[in-house]
Amino acid sequence: MLPADLLMQRYQGEAVIPKRLPCSADNLAIAAELIALFQAATGGTRAELQAQLQILEGEETDYRMKRGLAHLLETAFSTFEMRSPLDPATIRQRVFALSAQSIPGPQGSAATLAAVAETLSHELEREVSPEQIRAWLYADLPEQQVLTSFDAPTPEALLQRYNLSQAQGVLYRASHVVITAHRNDPGEYKLLFRYVKLFGLMAYIEGDADHGFTLTIDGPTSLFTPSTRYGLALAKMLPALLHVTRWSLAAILVPRQLSPYTPQEARFSLHAGCGLVSHYPPGKPHDSILEQAFAERWAHTRTAWRLEREVDLIPLPGSVMVPDFRLVHPDGRSFLLEIVGYWRPEYLRKKFAQVRRAGRHDLILAISERLNLERAGVKTDNLPARVVWFKDKVLPKAVLEVIGE
Amino acid sequence: MARPSTLSFDRGTLILHPPPPGKAWIDYATWDDRVERFRIRALHYRRLVEVLTAEGTTLVDSAREFTPLTLVPALEMTPYPHQREALAAWVAAGRLGVVVLPTGAGKTYLAQLAMQATPRSTLVVVPTLDLMHQWYAHLLAAFPDTPVGLLGGGSHDSTPVLVATYDSAAIYAEALGNKYALLVFDECHHLPSEFPRVIAEYSLAPYRLGLTATPERGDGRHADLQSLIGPEVYRTSAAALSGTVLATHRIVRLTVKLSQRERERYDTLLELRNRFLQQHSIRLGSLAGWQSFVKASARSRAGRSAMLAHREARAIAFGTAGKLRVLADLLAQHASARTLVFTDDNAMVYRISREFLLPAITHKTAVKERHDILQRFRTGEYPILVASRVLNEGVDVPEASVAIVLSGTGSQREYVQRLGRILRRGEGKLALLYEVVAEATSEEQLSRRRRQGVLARPYQQMELLETELLAAEGGEETCYQPTC
Repeated sequence: MLPADLLMQRYQGEAVIPKRLPCSADNLAIAAELIALFQAATGGTRAELQAQLQILEGEETDYRMKRGLAHLLETAFSTFEMRSPLDPATIRQRVFALSAQSIPGPQGSAATLAAVAETLSHELEREVSPEQIRAWLYADLPEQQVLTSFDAPTPEALLQRYNLSQAQGVLYRASHVVITAHRNDPGEYKLLFRYVKLFGLMAYIEGDADHGFTLTIDGPTSLFTPSTRYGLALAKMLPALLHVTRWSLAAILVPRQLSPYTPQEARFSLHAGCGLVSHYPPGKPHDSILEQAFAERWAHTRTAWRLEREVDLIPLPGSVMVPDFRLVHPDGRSFLLEIVGYWRPEYLRKKFAQVRRAGRHDLILAISERLNLERAGVKTDNLPARVVWFKDKVLPKAVLEVIGE
Repeated sequence: MARPSTLSFDRGTLILHPPPPGKAWIDYATWDDRVERFRIRALHYRRLVEVLTAEGTTLVDSAREFTPLTLVPALEMTPYPHQREALAAWVAAGRLGVVVLPTGAGKTYLAQLAMQATPRSTLVVVPTLDLMHQWYAHLLAAFPDTPVGLLGGGSHDSTPVLVATYDSAAIYAEALGNKYALLVFDECHHLPSEFPRVIAEYSLAPYRLGLTATPERGDGRHADLQSLIGPEVYRTSAAALSGTVLATHRIVRLTVKLSQRERERYDTLLELRNRFLQQHSIRLGSLAGWQSFVKASARSRAGRSAMLAHREARAIAFGTAGKLRVLADLLAQHASARTLVFTDDNAMVYRISREFLLPAITHKTAVKERHDILQRFRTGEYPILVASRVLNEGVDVPEASVAIVLSGTGSQREYVQRLGRILRRGEGKLALLYEVVAEATSEEQLSRRRRQGVLARPYQQMELLETELLAAEGGEETCYQPTC
């Protein structure tokens, strides 16, 4: 992601449009030039790298774009390390303690450095010059650190990352986002909600699996005052949303009031066809081998019921349930199936509480028989869901039986 | 009988469920569809509990996790009259409010007294890592039997007495909100900004104390201190305390001439910039003018080079070699004095540190080393210390008797606080402040602006002393000629 001063965006009325670099020959050349510069700078200090970057920037007006690309290369693809034979803080302490004995000035400094160089030459058993001491003095400062490795992206990948970062940057100022998730199969919602939860966000969910969902995402205190407190979290969520297949997003923004022409409120919108590329790893197609095996078995089962993956969302107060599968019959009937393979009593108790609170009567739970529930202290009475018990594998036949086929 | 209403804490807010009888609480509650519960601002905790109690409602309070503490002070001093008055005013205001005291008037000890008067788990929020360690050291000495911890600067403790930076406390505001009954905001004028204000908003702390020398903010947001902390309950000025707490001090302004080469380069750069500004009818000197310059500089090559020229000219004025020559001279003059050197930017700090081999502190200095350097400065092992803005606010450096300001911005607060550094109490100490500026550069205006702001405020005594000093030396300003 980019710091605020490297974000570039323009207004079209109240709509904010982030900078987007097309994969043109010109832009690819700039990206390639920067990547080559980083490759050549490997082994040198950050200060040297920055001096090179400054030369490349020159007096051209596109310096902010170049700085943005360089920032991504520096933060996401580079490793910097400190180079000094001793802890620089120790060197500093010795130099400053000795220097305090003389009146500060060029003569005093030269004498101090010479004295410390001599002591260190003895200690390290090699020739140490006063100039080296001066260099090691602040070897731990970021600008003195050495670029030890650079994991070069392709120029296309760098431009993609830049475009994503600019879009994420718009969300820094977002008070909330509204995502319209159209009918999706597979939905890939689990990954999305995993990030929603990870970043401390909250979602208000409306809709159903056949018509799609509206997800309003913000944070606990958004209820009182819309604030940009959750903007960074929303920005971090964006790459996860890119893995969902069909969606559109609308964000309300509170722009930083930089000039009298800045609007009080602005908007940002994005949709699945936006062309942005996520760098988050995609969610696994199936959470477990159990689910995968079940889906494969279903494909070979002769039935009118169709199997869809992660297409439905069951809103719960303060949470959401994303059932693994949905079974749809051509006549319109449908059921939701959740496979509970390996569980601990605490997990199962929570799951049952969720099912009770969900108030849905089309739920099927397939639960592994590996533990004695009574002995584990989990009560199964008063459970509104149909239950399929299984030993090693979930059989389509057993599931079809509980729905009366 | 109905289940009693329970109040719980959720990431910086309160949830009240099931809804209690009565009506008064509804003023504070908002229905939250996402969880199907009533949600309440954490900031309203105290008032909510008060109205529910007044109506005789049974409330299960599972929100608060703050605890009573036994605070046995190991460090006791006779409070100054202003500390006693301030404490009484704060307690009388229901332990909610802001106390305005000049730098060096013993804010830390006042906070200790407030903690003793309100023995509950306490969060102290400070703007810098240096202040963090100063508070930490003081609280450890004051309450040796109480666990005191740090949040920020590489530490992440969770102790009943916690000292945190504004940044870290704001980042963890959701988690800290219900763990502390007393919040102490040092330099509380920082609090109303957009990011840190959540420390107060997401907290249910019923007791809050704000401390500052300069509550007023350029953006007018100091009005929000009323709702975030409480009303201003006490104020006294440096002038009122003069002679009782603060050392007397003198200010000496030194003007440095640029060397011939620097002067030529500076003039060339300014001419280049001014030509561009004229062509585009841009006038600097106001924020709007500056913004149009920034915009214009991003649009054309000529604008870009004008901006680069402006920057280089500024760097010459701020970082001129002449200042380093003056610095060497001043350091030699005051060879035995405990001296602080301030500059505006880190690059200059490190340049001085490398050339003069003097210990330096910037925001990049690790907490442990910073602590160590300050310790050595206090004991006198390091007689001189170079620092950037990082030491600006209220760090206790009791022994410093000379301060040298090598450059600075026009911000009034910064200047007052830099002065505060040497205004610390000392036995018969006469503190000296040198301000070194380059002659006939834009920097002179900054210095004038700084001093005007200061003179209009409680520091009239300084004007007197400065006039006396100038008269005694028989000239307007001491002038240094470059020797090369």
